Amino acid sequence: MSDASLAFEDVVCGYGDTMVVRGVTGWVEPGRVLGIVGRNGVGKSTLLKALAGFLPVSRGRVRWRGEDLRSVPAHARLSAGLAYAPQENVVFGELSVAENLWLHLPDRNPARYAALLEAFPRLTERLKQRAGLLSGGERKLLSFTRTLGVQATLSMLDEPTEGVQPENIDRMARLVRALKASGRSFAIVEQNLTFIEQVADDVLVLDHGECVRAGSMAALGREALERHLLV
Amino acid sequence: MTMDGGTLLHSLNLVYELATLALTTLGLAVVFGLLGVMNMAHGEFVMIGAYSVVAVQQWGLPTIAAFPLAIAVCAALGWVVERWLIRPLYRRPFDTLLATWALAMLMRKVVEAIWGKGFRNVDNALTVAVPIGDTSYPAYRLGLIALAIVLLAALSFWYRRSSAGLRVRAMTGNPMLAQALGIDTQRLASRTFVVGVVFAGAAGVMLAPLIRVEPGIGVDYLLDGFFVLVVGGLGTLGGFAGGVGVIGGSQALVSSIAGQTSGYAVVLIISILFLWLKPDGIFSRR
Amino acid sequence: MRRLRGRSLWPAAALAAALVALPLVGNDFLAYQVALFLIYGIATQGVALCWGRLGFLPLGHALFFGLGAYLAGGTAKAGVAQPLWWLAFPLALLLPALLAWVVARLVFARRMRSGPYFSLITLAMTMLGFLAAQQWTGLTGGFNGMGDIPEPPGLERFSTLYWLVAAAAVASTAALGVLVGRPLGVLWRAIAQNEERLQLFGYATDRIKANAYALSALLAAGAGALFATHQGIVTPQAMSFVLATEFVIWAAVGGKASPLGALLGAVIVGYASAELRDHFATWEVFVGLLFIAVVRFLPEGLSGLAGMKVLRAARPRLAPVPAPPARAPRQVPALVYDNVRSSQGGVRILDGLSFRLEGPGIRAVIGPNGAGKTSAFNVLTGHLPVIGGRILAGGRDVTGQAAWRVARMGVGRKLQVPSVFAELTVRENLCVALWAGRLNAPAALRNAPHAWHTPLLDEMLGCFPELAASLDEPAGRLSQGHRQALEFVMTVLPEPHLLLLDEPCAGLSPAETHQMIQVIQRAVRRLNAAALLIEHDLAAVAALQGEVYVFHQGRMLAQGSLQAMQADVAVRAVYAGARK
Repeated sequence: MSDASLAFEDVVCGYGDTMVVRGVTGWVEPGRVLGIVGRNGVGKSTLLKALAGFLPVSRGRVRWRGEDLRSVPAHARLSAGLAYAPQENVVFGELSVAENLWLHLPDRNPARYAALLEAFPRLTERLKQRAGLLSGGERKLLSFTRTLGVQATLSMLDEPTEGVQPENIDRMARLVRALKASGRSFAIVEQNLTFIEQVADDVLVLDHGECVRAGSMAALGREALERHLLV
Repeated sequence: MTMDGGTLLHSLNLVYELATLALTTLGLAVVFGLLGVMNMAHGEFVMIGAYSVVAVQQWGLPTIAAFPLAIAVCAALGWVVERWLIRPLYRRPFDTLLATWALAMLMRKVVEAIWGKGFRNVDNALTVAVPIGDTSYPAYRLGLIALAIVLLAALSFWYRRSSAGLRVRAMTGNPMLAQALGIDTQRLASRTFVVGVVFAGAAGVMLAPLIRVEPGIGVDYLLDGFFVLVVGGLGTLGGFAGGVGVIGGSQALVSSIAGQTSGYAVVLIISILFLWLKPDGIFSRR
Repeated sequence: MRRLRGRSLWPAAALAAALVALPLVGNDFLAYQVALFLIYGIATQGVALCWGRLGFLPLGHALFFGLGAYLAGGTAKAGVAQPLWWLAFPLALLLPALLAWVVARLVFARRMRSGPYFSLITLAMTMLGFLAAQQWTGLTGGFNGMGDIPEPPGLERFSTLYWLVAAAAVASTAALGVLVGRPLGVLWRAIAQNEERLQLFGYATDRIKANAYALSALLAAGAGALFATHQGIVTPQAMSFVLATEFVIWAAVGGKASPLGALLGAVIVGYASAELRDHFATWEVFVGLLFIAVVRFLPEGLSGLAGMKVLRAARPRLAPVPAPPARAPRQVPALVYDNVRSSQGGVRILDGLSFRLEGPGIRAVIGPNGAGKTSAFNVLTGHLPVIGGRILAGGRDVTGQAAWRVARMGVGRKLQVPSVFAELTVRENLCVALWAGRLNAPAALRNAPHAWHTPLLDEMLGCFPELAASLDEPAGRLSQGHRQALEFVMTVLPEPHLLLLDEPCAGLSPAETHQMIQVIQRAVRRLNAAALLIEHDLAAVAALQGEVYVFHQGRMLAQGSLQAMQADVAVRAVYAGARK
């Protein structure tokens, strides 16, 4: 496990006194993608929220580049190299698409997004529109583009393909693979196994808040994952 | 086409009323409209601004010194209040309402303890009247009108175009996502609150020469401010202008026909109706 | 904080003793002065009732106080010449109460988070009243007020009137103290904690709140009437926002959850202020600081400090009594969704959802995230607007109806996040559910409903012994599993015939899930009800052995047995992502 990685050990977290995630361990190494799968309600989003700093971690450790992440407030994690795209409320509805994209950039140069926007002409057409007018899938595309454009070392995505058209999902997978090759890493919560198959190197399967399978995508295979989703 | 002196005077008075309403409500538009905080002490910050003028004149300082004094006092008080009173009660609108109501009372009582309950008049150096058309109008009031227009335009521009304004708009729309994008929402909210109460204080300074300055003036500015925002809707400039127009306009109109009290009564009735039937206002996007 | 056992009347008794002793220990003049603050105290109790019990804050209660004062003063003065006018005296209390009731009904009936806006409305109305009192000189005497108000017949202002005031104060403290322990008082507290949940049982909470507001206005107006005769003069100050603010301060400092506390708040703080404000210029500053400190740190006021927190009158151990029959309809209403569409925030949530549910039995609803499962429930119980299509229950169009109306048609709903009344005991939670559809106005004021039970209740408690063991614990302290159990039991107690259960096994261990499924099956059989169950745990769905509906993107994708659904290609694609 090298330095520029995220590692979490026996993480317990939840809402109020209800613990939803009950001791999950995993890690993401540079240039690799960790897929987190499981049915609804098993704690995937909760785990990611805790890793992003929006939920307190009751027990367990979270380390980023060797440092304890739990004392870092949510808004400081971006500058530490961690980007997060939530599952719901994924855009700023009142801001334009362009403003959504360059909110965090000091120079507001859309050139950063050139490659990304090429892949999604729908967004380019609507740069001046209010993001609230986009459909659910388009908002997810905007969120995806923005998160990738942030160029963080590790990007955490919660259900990035939900509501997105299949041809765009393919493009998203291609973009993630390209960025992987340049050393960036990803932790992606997904229910779309096709997408996971295309991008994930390692997979963590959750059920009832616990990890029930873990391993490399190659070793596990799609059938095993499907069984966990549908049985 | 020229207006006769009487109509011109009436129109200028109307514009003046709207301008003062806009100036005194601006701070609440920031605090309630953007941050969602029902600051029941808003009027008291205006009152403090007015008393700053009383204070500097009492101490023999030039009147212009009231500005830095009011800004300093309001900023310091605003920072403390946001940190110790508002932030802990952020998700509980009732408690915020009550806590700021308590703060308003405290501020009133402190001022009463220092200056007494009676009213003060503040000297106005600029009593000169400017001839316009068939009539003439006090220069100070004209200056106020001009200032209000410029200030609103500048603020609107800043809010829509600057990166700081962008961050505030992001924070009010989706605080969690804003944090995920690196915005320190706690600090930004604190600064925005301080800006809001400083606006209120500055408005008080500007109005001091034109009103009776007494400790109890806050409630009227508070209610007028809330009514403007309830009628006009929160968070948009168009709504703000609309609210000012409806509240200020109806008050001025009815007052000129049936007297000051009836004007105020009509405003109260309109506001009650909006609070009941359309609390999001005319121009809200919800 | 000691929990008080025993009768809810002891505060009133203690108060009576103190008030009797007062003129003997002090003198008549002291009694006269204290009487004024007892009068204010009664109005303060009205504020504390709404705010401390029901959870909404009237910022303008001086309106009713002043109205009561002016009306009483007017009729008393007219009564000097024409004694028949005294018959109109009760109007001084009833008209303000009626006004309060009308206003509250109008405001609370609108579906909005009415809390702080309601407070502003009451404040604006008080300012309007103040203006009117100053302007309508013919009626009110204007700025100088209405003077020369006579004493009540047979009472002397500076001596015997005290006893009338003291009796009123004791009576109001006693009545409020008793009411809190009755079913109505439990419902009030439930409204303050979780109004939405209460509506799902069929309680018309806006009416309950309006009635309580009218009661509080009655108290204020009664106090105003006493004020008029006590002072002999009524000025617009009796209807001012300054006085309204003082009521709120006294309630906050004295303790908004305790009738005696609120009264003492007015007497102690008010009397002290009146005496000290002329001696110490900074006294009022001190009161302001005290108010802020109380709001920030001591939500229950000084009486909370003294341990008088919530007067949990221990239930007299009554023998269990069978409850009257539920008013819910007897048969399962056939449920039809006809091309229902709904959006929120610009996103289309339901996109032409259609299905038909007839006859008893459990059906499971499954589907990926965002499929619209919870939303389908939300449109039925009025939480989500319907922009197209209709919903029919039992043949009647129920689209867009308020939650409590739908509940009264025999629909029970268990929410996605287990939702109980956290500060009520488990027993009180169960009572609230049991009373739904069974409690009428007279019963709400008697003690008997606390002892009601039904065979279903006994059976459910038998299935969940852990609930039976923690009946006197606050429901908020239950673990997730027990809270799910409690909410489920509460959902079935009104004996609905259509059950909407949203993830009843969320957060449960496999063993608890198994138990819950069995209890659900048992309850549904017993009630002969139809149930729609949203569940993600497919083992649980398999155990139910019923029909399965698969939702996707706001529509029904397929229905059939679980095995059929698991084999269905379209369903697999939706869950796992289509293969290329």
